[in-house]
Amino acid sequence: MDENKPIIQIRDLKKSFFLPHERHDSLVEFMSNPFRIFKPKGEQFTVLKDIDLDVYKGEFLGIMGRNGSGKSTLLKILAGIYEPTSGSVKVTGSVVPFLELGVGFNAELSGRENVFLNGIILGMSKDKLKKKYDEIVAFAELEKFMDMPLKNYSSGMQVRLAFSIAIMADADIYILDEVLAVGDVEFQKKCFDVFRNYKEQKKTVILVTHAAGSVKDFCTRAVFLKDGVFQVQGDVDEVIEAYNRG
Amino acid sequence: MNNYIELLKEFIRTDFKLRYKNSYLGIIWIVLKPLAMFSIIYLIWSNIMVMNADYKMGLLLGIMIMSFFSEAIMMGMDSLLTKSGIILKIKFPREITIYSAVTIALMDFAFNMIVFVIFSFFTPIHPTGIGLLLFLAAIVCIFVLTMGVSLFLSILYIRLRDIHNLIEVGVQLIFWATPIYYTLAMMPEKLQKIIILNPLTLIVTYARKGLITGDQVRLEDFLQMGIVFLVCCAILLLGTIFFKKKVSKIAEYF
Repeated sequence: MDENKPIIQIRDLKKSFFLPHERHDSLVEFMSNPFRIFKPKGEQFTVLKDIDLDVYKGEFLGIMGRNGSGKSTLLKILAGIYEPTSGSVKVTGSVVPFLELGVGFNAELSGRENVFLNGIILGMSKDKLKKKYDEIVAFAELEKFMDMPLKNYSSGMQVRLAFSIAIMADADIYILDEVLAVGDVEFQKKCFDVFRNYKEQKKTVILVTHAAGSVKDFCTRAVFLKDGVFQVQGDVDEVIEAYNRG
Repeated sequence: MNNYIELLKEFIRTDFKLRYKNSYLGIIWIVLKPLAMFSIIYLIWSNIMVMNADYKMGLLLGIMIMSFFSEAIMMGMDSLLTKSGIILKIKFPREITIYSAVTIALMDFAFNMIVFVIFSFFTPIHPTGIGLLLFLAAIVCIFVLTMGVSLFLSILYIRLRDIHNLIEVGVQLIFWATPIYYTLAMMPEKLQKIIILNPLTLIVTYARKGLITGDQVRLEDFLQMGIVFLVCCAILLLGTIFFKKKVSKIAEYF
């Protein structure tokens, strides 16, 4: 792959959502114009605007911003879950989004069954999961519990299992949404080792977090998102400072 | 593409497994429940109303096909919403959720057919090779038809939740608009013309003819089945086009 070409290229991105107003039509109102259910009243709410971003291979980009600043929406667009309202998003290479750990986890299924369900949802093949199964279980430190239904797991155990599956996913780009703070101190240390490993392998990682510490430790570049626009872009320290100022 | 099939299989496996999880009899229910349900119908029609054998088996088969139809439509319609937790978190081909829901309904139908075979020991049917082929063609038609309708409804349902109730009633209406308890010949001529327009009428009629009175199957039947098949394919095509066009925005409306 060409090193000088951005692996993610966003140009002039805008995303707005339709916010429907409360429906309090009476039956009479409805009868007067039944077709209105197809055209509910509401307004457009712009979440992101004028976003330009280039991410190169091997970069570790941090995205900071207050709640409601549009971080998650941006990640969802990168992950291909939302479509941009206007502008272009070009992503070259495979993406694994960790917007939430344990996507598709089912409480009634055993830990073992969930490994395969979640792993396949994340795009891994069944053969690969079979091969990596012992490794996943060992990493999660859940050897004794794999045949137990997930509903009997503690929340910490669930997160550990989810994280252990997630790191097996092989992709060019990883999108992480505040998943750093999982498990106890020991397990967190292991997680950070995994991130360091990504960095060494020259994987591209996009990290959304509120923790200035992790941005400082890992990110080569950062952006500060406020009210849907990039306020500061580039230097990690500047971004953290801007974030702290609000 | 590889992952596509694996994901489909995993969805089917999981959803199928989950249904009978936590019950003592587990997977046995898949056959036990239809066996019990159809025994009631069978016993009523054998003892209270004395009917001829072909009619009795035709009734069972008709009900089985119609319950496949309603189950496939209802589960297919709900499938995007029931999988919304995954859809909101990761990109994958969304149509897999509908494919898996309709396939599960087909699997249920296959288990119902085991029950049908059990009943056929008591009330003999007359299957032939060519008749079975006609029966299979009818099942393929209804599978394609429900798939197309489900693709369409699943999108509509996200935007307009009211259709869930509407379709539930609609499925009932279609059940009674299809010759299940009655035969086409019993109806006044005017009504016959309307009932025959319902593609399920032909599907049920030919499925019965193929499986129960296989010795009466003629080549013309396949010709008519072919026309039904083309109609079903057209519905699937329209459903797929509509789905592909609308699905990319669906995550915003959950």
